Amino acid sequence: MTSAEQVSRLLALVPYLQRHTDADVDTTAATFGVTGKQLLADLKVLWYCGLPGGLPGDLIEIDFDAIDAGRIRLSNADYLARPMRFSPDEALSLVVALRAVGELVGDDQGDAVASALAKLEAAAGVSALPKVAVAGGEAEVRDVLTAAIDAAETVEFDYTDAGLQPSHPEVSPVRLLVRDGIGYLQAWNAERGDWRTYRLDRIVAIQRTGRRAAVVAEPPVFDPGWFERSASAREITLVLEPGSRWLAEYIPVQAVTELADGVELDLLVADPAWLRALILRLGPALRELRPAEAADSARAAAAEALAAYRAG
Amino acid sequence: MTQQKSERIMNLAICLLMSRRYLEKARIREIVEGYHDLSDAAFERTFERDKDELRSLGVPVETGSNDVFFPDEVGYRIRREDFELPAIEFTAAETAALGLAATVWESATQAGQTTSALAKLRAAGVDPDPSRLAALAPAIGAREPAFDTVWAAYAERAPISFSYRGETRQVEPWAMTSRRGAWYLLGYDRGRQEARMFKLARIDGAASRIGKPGSYQVSDTMDVDAAWTRLEPAAPDEVGIVALRTGRAHDLRRRAVPDETPVPSGFEAFALSYSRAGDFVAEVCAHGPDVIVLAPAALRQAVIEHLTAVAEGVHR
Repeated sequence: MTSAEQVSRLLALVPYLQRHTDADVDTTAATFGVTGKQLLADLKVLWYCGLPGGLPGDLIEIDFDAIDAGRIRLSNADYLARPMRFSPDEALSLVVALRAVGELVGDDQGDAVASALAKLEAAAGVSALPKVAVAGGEAEVRDVLTAAIDAAETVEFDYTDAGLQPSHPEVSPVRLLVRDGIGYLQAWNAERGDWRTYRLDRIVAIQRTGRRAAVVAEPPVFDPGWFERSASAREITLVLEPGSRWLAEYIPVQAVTELADGVELDLLVADPAWLRALILRLGPALRELRPAEAADSARAAAAEALAAYRAG
Repeated sequence: MTQQKSERIMNLAICLLMSRRYLEKARIREIVEGYHDLSDAAFERTFERDKDELRSLGVPVETGSNDVFFPDEVGYRIRREDFELPAIEFTAAETAALGLAATVWESATQAGQTTSALAKLRAAGVDPDPSRLAALAPAIGAREPAFDTVWAAYAERAPISFSYRGETRQVEPWAMTSRRGAWYLLGYDRGRQEARMFKLARIDGAASRIGKPGSYQVSDTMDVDAAWTRLEPAAPDEVGIVALRTGRAHDLRRRAVPDETPVPSGFEAFALSYSRAGDFVAEVCAHGPDVIVLAPAALRQAVIEHLTAVAEGVHR
């Protein structure tokens, strides 16, 4: 803990404690993101601070008996009634966080996020603020989902999974979340008797059903690593043309090896349909795949499509 | 030591904030607790450091003179209107969004900065309330190794140098953006003498500072928002006619318009707009036999060649 960090916090703590009389020690520590012990150390510093002159009446007063009972009473600091302006880093961090919120709410709350941002930007007096874009699908989809969660209703929608397989699930929506720039719905799928995660940008034709949502426990902690660690995952090696190196930035790869005339990617694949779609998408950019039989279903799909072209 | 230093800097800040006039150094030495007992040299050193530290926190310590006849007699003060957070009020819906913001950052440094910013709002009487939007869990990560150094340089306007795809670049950071989980930097590239965009994941290792904070101006002629739109796909300007197998390819249907072209049974015809033919071919082919391109002929031919490469090529 540097004294710079401490002073910065103290300059906010003094107005906070004057506004929140009898503040709870634990709540205050959590508000400032410090331990109770650090908060106590902060208060001990403030005990020696005050107006120049150093006479007893000039110093900030803190009731240390109340602290023993978990309460903070600070007085005699009228001159620090308001917090300091945001530092540039604070302003930028908060603006990015709020923009990320804006990417996940629907149209209903989007206006509130936009107006809050405008007020913050004016107060902070900063320009060239960072932008945030999340693949979170349509705002209307998020509106239906948040309304259904509030009303404890199920929803049904058309879904296309990562392997491009279609389905029409009815689920009890529980939470919208973001991982690595992609928005997801976490929901209980009663038909499958399990938790399911759906990408928001792959949900279409969503409707509230009017049926009660299932009452279920908290969903498991969302872990994007499930993809790699799935028990049925198998190791696949792709050899790509040099121009397709960008792929390594968009799919979860285990290793990237530069070759003289291309690039080799090692990945763990849990979903055969996902791999089939990837191979079909890559086309001539994919020079080699190991093991070779992992490409069988993509080859069959390509042959079937070509037959349709010949017939047409 | 830290405790005494914090006390001294706090007392200095309060003293400068309470003074309407510029306070001369000698007077500060007299009245601020912690300076009396220092030797002349130690006082000079300590006072300079404390003053710099306050400024580094963003405290606007002003230098000036009260005396028009003796302007060399410099003093210091903090103007309250420059120091204090301006009055700011939020609606209930806005405080709900602010409450949610507290949990967004996955990287510790920026999460801490967000917490401090929200604590300042609470100290100003705002009450960010996350409970109203409990079903939402937005998140923003920053796993790129260069992120922390680039972000800090951007916040403080300090020029940096980094290795980008094996080449050394010297950049004045102007703006940053997070798109689909990847961070981008827009800045003035000193070597190339023009604005350039960088993807942080492609910076090798960390970035290092090559100048002081605040040592350049962000261009006021550059349209930053327009620069970011270059990251987005171009607006679609071509139209293809496709047959989609019934009940499949919902992802394409979302942006498709029904079309009258006759198709085999089990399929439905749609018009789909696209911008880059190569990307569109790949997207169509990913669906295998569920999507057939009917027109234009060149697009249809490109899809056939792409599929032929898959059917015949991937078998070694």
